[in-house]
Amino acid sequence: MSEFALLTLLIGALGLIALGIGGLVLSRNLFRIVLALSLAEAGANLLLVLVGFRRDAVAPIIESGQALTAIMVDPIPQAMVLTAIVIGVGVQALALSLAIRAYAAYGTLDMSVMRRRMEADIDAAAGAQPATSLHAPAGGRPLPPISAPRLAHDKGAQA
Amino acid sequence: MNTSLIALVVALPLLAAFLLPLVPSVLRRLVGPLALLAVAALGMVLWQASLSEPLVLTLGGFRPPLGIVFYVDGVAALFVLTVALVTLLLWPWGGDASENLDRKQSLTLVLAAACTGLAVSGDLFNVYVFYELAAVASYGLAAGSRTAAAQVATFRYVILGSLGSLLALIGITLIYFRTGTLNLAHLADLAPQTLHDPLGLAAFFLILLGLGVKAELFLVNTWAPEVYATAEARVSALLAGLVSKLALLVVVRLLVLVFPLPEAREALLLLGMLGMISGEFAAYRARDIKRMLAWSSIGQLGAAFIAFSIPGPLGLAAGLAIALHHLLVKPALFLLAERWGGGLARLAGAARRSPLGAALFVLFALSLIGVPPLPGFWAKYLLLSGLAAQPDNLYLLAGLVVLVTTVVEAVYLFRVIGVMYGREGATPANEQLDNTQPASALAGSGVFAALLLAAALAAPLLAAPLGRMATQMSDGAAYVARVLPSTATLSGAAQ
Amino acid sequence: MLTRYGALLFAAGFAFLLFVLFTSQPLGAPTMLAGQAVLNEAAGTVGAANIVTAVVLAYRGIDTLGELSILFAAATAVGLVLGRSHGTDAAATAREPGGFILRAGADLLFPLLLVVGFYIIVHGHLTPGGGFQGGVVLAAAFVLPVLARPSETISHSAMAWVEGLAGGVFIVTGLLALAVDRAFLTPLLGTGQLGTLLSAGTLPLLYLAVGLKVGAELANLLLRMTEEESGT
Repeated sequence: MSEFALLTLLIGALGLIALGIGGLVLSRNLFRIVLALSLAEAGANLLLVLVGFRRDAVAPIIESGQALTAIMVDPIPQAMVLTAIVIGVGVQALALSLAIRAYAAYGTLDMSVMRRRMEADIDAAAGAQPATSLHAPAGGRPLPPISAPRLAHDKGAQA
Repeated sequence: MNTSLIALVVALPLLAAFLLPLVPSVLRRLVGPLALLAVAALGMVLWQASLSEPLVLTLGGFRPPLGIVFYVDGVAALFVLTVALVTLLLWPWGGDASENLDRKQSLTLVLAAACTGLAVSGDLFNVYVFYELAAVASYGLAAGSRTAAAQVATFRYVILGSLGSLLALIGITLIYFRTGTLNLAHLADLAPQTLHDPLGLAAFFLILLGLGVKAELFLVNTWAPEVYATAEARVSALLAGLVSKLALLVVVRLLVLVFPLPEAREALLLLGMLGMISGEFAAYRARDIKRMLAWSSIGQLGAAFIAFSIPGPLGLAAGLAIALHHLLVKPALFLLAERWGGGLARLAGAARRSPLGAALFVLFALSLIGVPPLPGFWAKYLLLSGLAAQPDNLYLLAGLVVLVTTVVEAVYLFRVIGVMYGREGATPANEQLDNTQPASALAGSGVFAALLLAAALAAPLLAAPLGRMATQMSDGAAYVARVLPSTATLSGAAQ
Repeated sequence: MLTRYGALLFAAGFAFLLFVLFTSQPLGAPTMLAGQAVLNEAAGTVGAANIVTAVVLAYRGIDTLGELSILFAAATAVGLVLGRSHGTDAAATAREPGGFILRAGADLLFPLLLVVGFYIIVHGHLTPGGGFQGGVVLAAAFVLPVLARPSETISHSAMAWVEGLAGGVFIVTGLLALAVDRAFLTPLLGTGQLGTLLSAGTLPLLYLAVGLKVGAELANLLLRMTEEESGT
């Protein structure tokens, strides 16, 4: 394999990782988040195989009649990748089933909406005051009168 | 003793978990506790044996750098014993439909096996596998309360945890890329020539961030308050008490064996300080007791990170003391808080409704703050004296952080105690609240309290084994010599 | 908006950092300290022609056990999240079967997939493939008929037996080594003639257990999800 092809594979693996991590941070849709995660995992697995690659070597399988001294690639990363792939499958299935349930409960796949609903649920279960903010100050303090334009601005911000 | 029995600490709980759904229903509830009791007995025997000399098991009988080894020193054996006992104390005895109870018991057994595996494993990738196993089992348990909020919190936990595992896997790939081996002893042997450079440090930081997710390290601990607030108290206790400590133990093993570098220590120290500050102040601001405990747990683990960043056996002893103390106190507090899952105001007059629960809470809170006769004091004393002995100013700053956050800790814990014992605010509505603990939670935290008091009485006696374990753990050369009796044949075998 | 650019910048920077690290020594010439030793010894000590299999089941057998447990834990957790104690059967019978092509295709493919799956599993120590790959094919074989005829679900208890017993067989085979005073997961029964079907001692047996376990777990996961879809 040429130097160029190896470099391409390395850039491909790293690109997958970057795409995955970027997607993980930027996506708000639950399924896209899971998808981004699996992209990044694919990149990491490719990287792992690449690390065990050896120039001009064959797969680590002894064929009948073949000399035992043939140059073979490193078998350990291949076994590790097998493990990593299976782990990834299990975690993704679990994440997807949680997403299905969360969607059934909250009727949305938007992570930020879902997170707000979750926080509100936690607060309600705890019987605590909802989180304090500019719009909902803490405690029973009398609220300062809000001027009409300010109110409109707040509504705009919420929408 | 016969070292081949070491494998049972992992194999037995897994076997029990696999076969649990198949056992006739009369005996089914006995399978898990019996397996855990067997592991506890093994842990006890191993602890006795390993304090004088660490034990090594080569799995499959392949010589070390080729196959995987289990390495049992005093610390590992102690954690095996603790994992079995704490899991037994937090065992899901009932309260669910039969099918779901089977699942929860299986997952708890898998979690216990993963934790013992993390304690004894001497192979980098094997550690990753056990870490993932612990992760998946804890995701399942965290979602086990089956509320919508728990499912969203667990989803966020899964995503953060998987991102962490990804980083850890890339770190392991980097190490394998540079050294061509995964055995910790072999890595420790090769590290001075190959890994003490920017690449090695980058790999360490990636693994630190990855394992830090479970160890509630600063930056990657945002899952903790959400999950602890929504999961069952038992599960929060398991995650905060056990799983975090095992992840921490793995990080410390790597630090001691492979990366005994000042840069790595400083990173641990800084992240620990930030974790402590952010955790304790967030706990101060928390409006309900579960999230307060969650944030305080983050703060406490920050203290453990600070302690482990002190070089030498002194730091290891302090870190172990803090970790073990937290392991006793935090699960008990979560158990007590199960029925107090309300805003702090709801606790008004709780001391009259459940006097025993409140009294136990006071005991644990005092130990957490570090009031002298209790073990928490000795843990903090070891930490502060360790920090004071370091010449570096950063360590002095860390000492200051510890002192300041202790004050914060005292303030918010005493605030809770004040509300519980206070007369004001005890409205008639409060009196109707059923926040007395169930008998099982009281019994569980009672056992933890008994252990805590025993530790307080026996504090002088505990110092010697603690010191011995720390010395044993800090001796990287002995680890290498024990696992790899002949390094010469090894480098000869390469290419 | 700023956070978006920040995230992109972070991801790109991270990839660049990794690029620098992974080009710090030449790719394609791995150090292979442990790897070369395994290549030299595996044929003699384990007797598997496929050396990756020797690593997966013998040298790193405990990793594979952990991996099986992860699949088991994931399937159990999915059952805990999605599982309903009643009502699934009624929801499933209400669904209509697939069209003729789907049904006939599923019937034709089922035995074929079964044969291919088992072939891949039992030749795992000789050729590329093995328990994981074959197990996935087996899972597909069992999920396909359910897709064609949603009313005929596979009994979960049968699946639970396969799951539990296959996992149990893996661990018990490992524990048998203790009885003859060897370490956990030591391959037994000698190595046999390299390259023949009955070689590599207990490895084919272990791979059979892995294959059945993986097949049952994956089929379980997929069926849970299809039931969830038909239920809502």
